Amino acid sequence: MEREGTPSATVSPALAGRPGRTDGIDEYRRRWTWDEVRWASHCIDCYPGNCPMRVYMRDGKVVREESAAEFPTYMAGVPDMNPMGCQKGVGWTRLLDAPERVLHPLRRVGERGEGRWERVSWDEACTEIADAILDAIEEVGPEAVIAPSGCNLGTLALAGRGKFMDLLGGITTDLNAEMNDFAAGYYMTWGMFDPVSSIDDWFHSEVFLIWFGNPAYTRIPHNHFIAEARYRGCEIVNIAPDVSPSAVHADYHLPVRPGSDAALALAMCHVVVAEGRYDETFVTEQTDLPLLVDPSTQRYLREADLVDGGSDEVFYAWDTATQQAVAAPRGTLRWGAVDPALSGTFSVDTLTGVVEVTTVFDLVRERLDEFAPERAAEICGVHADVIRDLARKVASKRTNILGSLNAASKHYHGDLIERAQCLLLALTGNWGCHGTGARAWGAGFFDGLLTFAMKTRRGPDETAAVLDMRDMMMKAALDADPTLTEKVWSVEMARSGTMGNMGGMVPPVFLWYRFAGFRDIWTRAEWHDASMPRPFDEYFDEAVAENWWAPADLPGADQPPRVLIECGGNVLRRTRGGSQVLLEHLWPRLRMVVTMDVRMSATAAYSDIVLPMAQQYEKVGFGIPTSHVMHLTFCDKAVEPPGEAVDEWEAFRRIAAKIESRATERGVGPYTSGTRPRDPRQIHDAFTAGGTFVDQEAIVDEMLRDTALAGTIPAEASLDEIRRRGFFRWEGLGIMPRAVAQATEPRPDETFVPFRKHVEDGDPYPTLTRRAQFLIDHPWFIEAGEHLPTHKDPPASGGDHPFQVSSGHNRWSIHSLNTANKLMLETHRGAPHLVMNERDAAEIGVGDGELVRLHNDKGEFRVAVKLSPTARPGQVIMYNGFDDYQFPGWSSPNNAEPGMFKWLHLAGGYGHLRYWATEWQPCPVMRNTRVSIEKA
Amino acid sequence: MTSVMQPESGPTGQVAMVFDLNKCMGCQTCSVACKVLWTREEGEDHQWWMSVNTQPGRGTPKDWEDMGGGLSGGKPAPGRQPRREDFGGGWDFNYQEVFYGGKGNKTHLRPVENGDNTTSWGMNWDEDQGAGEYPNAYYFYLPRLCNHCTRPVCAEACPTGAMYKRREDGIVLRNEEACLGSRFCMEACPYKKIYFNYARKVAQHCIMCFPRLEEGVAPACARQCPGRLVFVGMLDDTDGPIHKLVNEWGVALPLHAEYGTGPNIFYVPPLAPYRLHEDMSIDYETPRIPPEYLESLFGPKVHTALDKLKTELDTVRSGGSSEILDTLIVYHWNELFGEYTTDPASLDRSPASVAVQLTTKPAG
Repeated sequence: MEREGTPSATVSPALAGRPGRTDGIDEYRRRWTWDEVRWASHCIDCYPGNCPMRVYMRDGKVVREESAAEFPTYMAGVPDMNPMGCQKGVGWTRLLDAPERVLHPLRRVGERGEGRWERVSWDEACTEIADAILDAIEEVGPEAVIAPSGCNLGTLALAGRGKFMDLLGGITTDLNAEMNDFAAGYYMTWGMFDPVSSIDDWFHSEVFLIWFGNPAYTRIPHNHFIAEARYRGCEIVNIAPDVSPSAVHADYHLPVRPGSDAALALAMCHVVVAEGRYDETFVTEQTDLPLLVDPSTQRYLREADLVDGGSDEVFYAWDTATQQAVAAPRGTLRWGAVDPALSGTFSVDTLTGVVEVTTVFDLVRERLDEFAPERAAEICGVHADVIRDLARKVASKRTNILGSLNAASKHYHGDLIERAQCLLLALTGNWGCHGTGARAWGAGFFDGLLTFAMKTRRGPDETAAVLDMRDMMMKAALDADPTLTEKVWSVEMARSGTMGNMGGMVPPVFLWYRFAGFRDIWTRAEWHDASMPRPFDEYFDEAVAENWWAPADLPGADQPPRVLIECGGNVLRRTRGGSQVLLEHLWPRLRMVVTMDVRMSATAAYSDIVLPMAQQYEKVGFGIPTSHVMHLTFCDKAVEPPGEAVDEWEAFRRIAAKIESRATERGVGPYTSGTRPRDPRQIHDAFTAGGTFVDQEAIVDEMLRDTALAGTIPAEASLDEIRRRGFFRWEGLGIMPRAVAQATEPRPDETFVPFRKHVEDGDPYPTLTRRAQFLIDHPWFIEAGEHLPTHKDPPASGGDHPFQVSSGHNRWSIHSLNTANKLMLETHRGAPHLVMNERDAAEIGVGDGELVRLHNDKGEFRVAVKLSPTARPGQVIMYNGFDDYQFPGWSSPNNAEPGMFKWLHLAGGYGHLRYWATEWQPCPVMRNTRVSIEKA
Repeated sequence: MTSVMQPESGPTGQVAMVFDLNKCMGCQTCSVACKVLWTREEGEDHQWWMSVNTQPGRGTPKDWEDMGGGLSGGKPAPGRQPRREDFGGGWDFNYQEVFYGGKGNKTHLRPVENGDNTTSWGMNWDEDQGAGEYPNAYYFYLPRLCNHCTRPVCAEACPTGAMYKRREDGIVLRNEEACLGSRFCMEACPYKKIYFNYARKVAQHCIMCFPRLEEGVAPACARQCPGRLVFVGMLDDTDGPIHKLVNEWGVALPLHAEYGTGPNIFYVPPLAPYRLHEDMSIDYETPRIPPEYLESLFGPKVHTALDKLKTELDTVRSGGSSEILDTLIVYHWNELFGEYTTDPASLDRSPASVAVQLTTKPAG
């Protein structure tokens, strides 16, 4: 029966309000009770996370949690950020007593990975670990102790592992290479990979390019700002090979060929330039496009070309007023009286005679001619008219490129894609103002984490001294070199390893190449781009010989790893190239593998000792501090951890105590690591600052007070205060280089958008040219033809096979943290699945839910297929995060991913192409892996 | 606070919800928020009073739209009782075997089949599969819970009179002490949103978080929806967004109104990206989601509702303003919840005080 008209609220009289009928429902009133409420969050790497929640407790146990939803409106006319949370967060309580939880120290009694364990005491476990560490130090050196850097470290883990490894002199691998989240192309352009606007700033966008992201899966608490921007008039464009879940609410879906996105971006640049729609003022001021370049060498004109003994880092533009080459100022983007030509050919007297020079803009324009829309359409599969329409929109509207972080970096030529995106944004003036930009992941602001590690006692004195020292150093540096700004100085300090290197991280490429079996993979030229002119080893050797990575090029060839401590991650699950490579090559070298975790991960399963850690709500901590959400969010300790679980600080403290006593008994130490003396006989004393920092509440209280001193949170901040308020909003950038590099002072009544100091004040960028840089004239880049933005087809990584396997973060887990969680498993098929187009499936004769075998020249795995017309024929999608033990034979998709990285990312000795923590370094990729698929 | 007493007479009303499908990303936060609050006890493992499915799809329980029930010509239509395996889920997993069984990689973690055919379906089995042909595949997310129908055929079908519709807010409830587990309600319900508790031998369904509503707190699914897309309020509150969206602007529609039961959950129907021609140019004419499919769910008014949304989008894109879209933006989160804006953390809900409240309430 079709019901007509508006629904009426009339109730069948026989059923309405019968007396006495409340009986039998009181049970539900009783279920919704509690006797205590605490602030909570989930201090994990669902970046940016920071969802304020409350845990509801009954009889001393956490019953459930609920989004707190207490954010005020910050900027008039912009929706508030309530209620942040997701399905993982609102059901986290189940993980506290889940069957995958580890409650006691376990020691392996079978083979590694066999699943046979015995319970041991903390004392026994720590003694074995301490002795293994001391053995490693005596036989090899402290560099034989490795902490691979996972990203699910909470505050106490970050502090504990950081200080422990620092005092020991061991090696912590850089988390950005471990996670493959480094946007190399953004770094090449801006000298940093991570400008990050706040999620509510998305509301200001007029064109939203969902590009290398799937926010419907990975930005669950933030996705509403996209929908709300749309309701305000923003057009949503989803650019992806598959009709992704984020295409559902887009206005346009552009089904781009996998890995061809640079061609699409460059074609849009072509339209913008050819139609004269580019923002000449913006590119002239903000970028290197007006700088002069010698077309015969494709190198910038430098002072050293003009003057004997001239600088390699002074560049020129052609002043149309005076008709001469004029040095570009390094301390500002502003040209003053100079009127630089963006285009033209000019004669310049150099030390070697008269040279005809042109501008970077002209070289770029020439390059763009290869990407006229019709031509680019053949490469990327997007129709030329669509390219033109979109380019015109981007040129006239506030445009925001949203990768979830930026998954372009997970492509072999991701750097080229990102540089092309940056060029599009530059030509259209789309950064440094509301509703614009591109982003990766940002962090910083929580300065107490940095200062805490240096303290020997509680109180503000030492912190104030550190902050004063930093200001004095900066003032001296800026006085000595007036071209420096706080940002450029901070970043240079980080590059020199003086500050902010997060506990002495090193790029993991050296460990992987020398000891983990990756040399055999990376030297396979056919899996690299065909334009790699020389054997891979030559580049590696040159980079080492030139000292481009010193002193971070560890472990050395004579420092084989002996002990591996996994804390805050799952190295066997996450490593591109797969657990197989690590288990075959790295594991046999290790005398001791320790995993500290809340649960039995794949890495835990292959460990010698597993130490039980406290879960969320069982320890204090904070979300990852970032401008993405603009808040420091607190998770209180609501309950004691069960069994023998402890927080990570306490775990490292116990190991340190045992090292101290065993070293004394065995007479080990002192020794020198790097340039610093270390003494294992005093490591516990140093770790706890003479017993000052044992209690977790004292530690985080100290961090909060220090952070307040640094000026990023309110002056009254303390543990007591955040227990009342749940979160603080950032009030300043503080001292951490990555935060300072955002180059915008937070304002209390505005959404945050980075780079305002560049755009509004003309502050320089921390690049070789001090400008957003599109020409990278490093000799390797010129040799490879990648000195300018371009497109290259993805190499046939994995061999000549018909399918491309793509990936992405899944909806149901944060990395592998929740993949074994029954509650989440119930919301899909309870097992990993591969998304495949029905037509492809019909060809190989496989039906929905059936098992297929994917294999290539690297490896294989088996998984059930899920058929969908959303998948692009020829491409299959294997969402990542599932743990190895969820696949038959524990062979995960990583085993078929070679884990290649582009050889150019070993380059150094050039301006900003220098390592600093989480920044410039080689990072393995996995997208566009070629596979064959058959019914298993 | 609302009295816990069931009045014999007094104001009547109907609490309703509007789900804006253009904001729903299928994350299941609503589903999990409901589950951890209400269905964690024995016999409730497979119960998801709130669930989100990908449409087109077979949904939960599997093929529920083909199971009948509801009213036809004003009379109860025959309906099929969904079976346990139609719901699927509620799985056990072999954690112990995998982690501690000494078998290494010879076994792997998976749902364990107990001979009940439940591992071949679940509450979200056909997630993100959709329909159509690449690159014009399409789907959207449809959150579903009890419709707390104006004519609750479930209650009418109950042989023991255990079910009733509450006078003051129209919530359909069940006296579980009077429920004998006949499951006629499950046959009658055309939305197949009633579950059977095999441990306690009673039927259960969404209670619209009535204990929360009684304290002025929005239901758990709505209050925790990170998409900010669930409006809650009294249907006849003419100042509220629900009345405007449903009755004034006609952009929120009931699901399968032809079932005849007068559902009180409404949906803003889904827009979709433009289709592509074979040469990948944009087809501005043919809708990506077939209109007849949307009509099969939301009735013929879906076309005018979508046209209205598109017109409003055109208006704001050319610099104008739209009260409808501003309402759907929800500038202040609490505007979603009408009179139900109390923060639960501010309440005293200690078991002792609630017990006192329950024992001292006036006899019904």
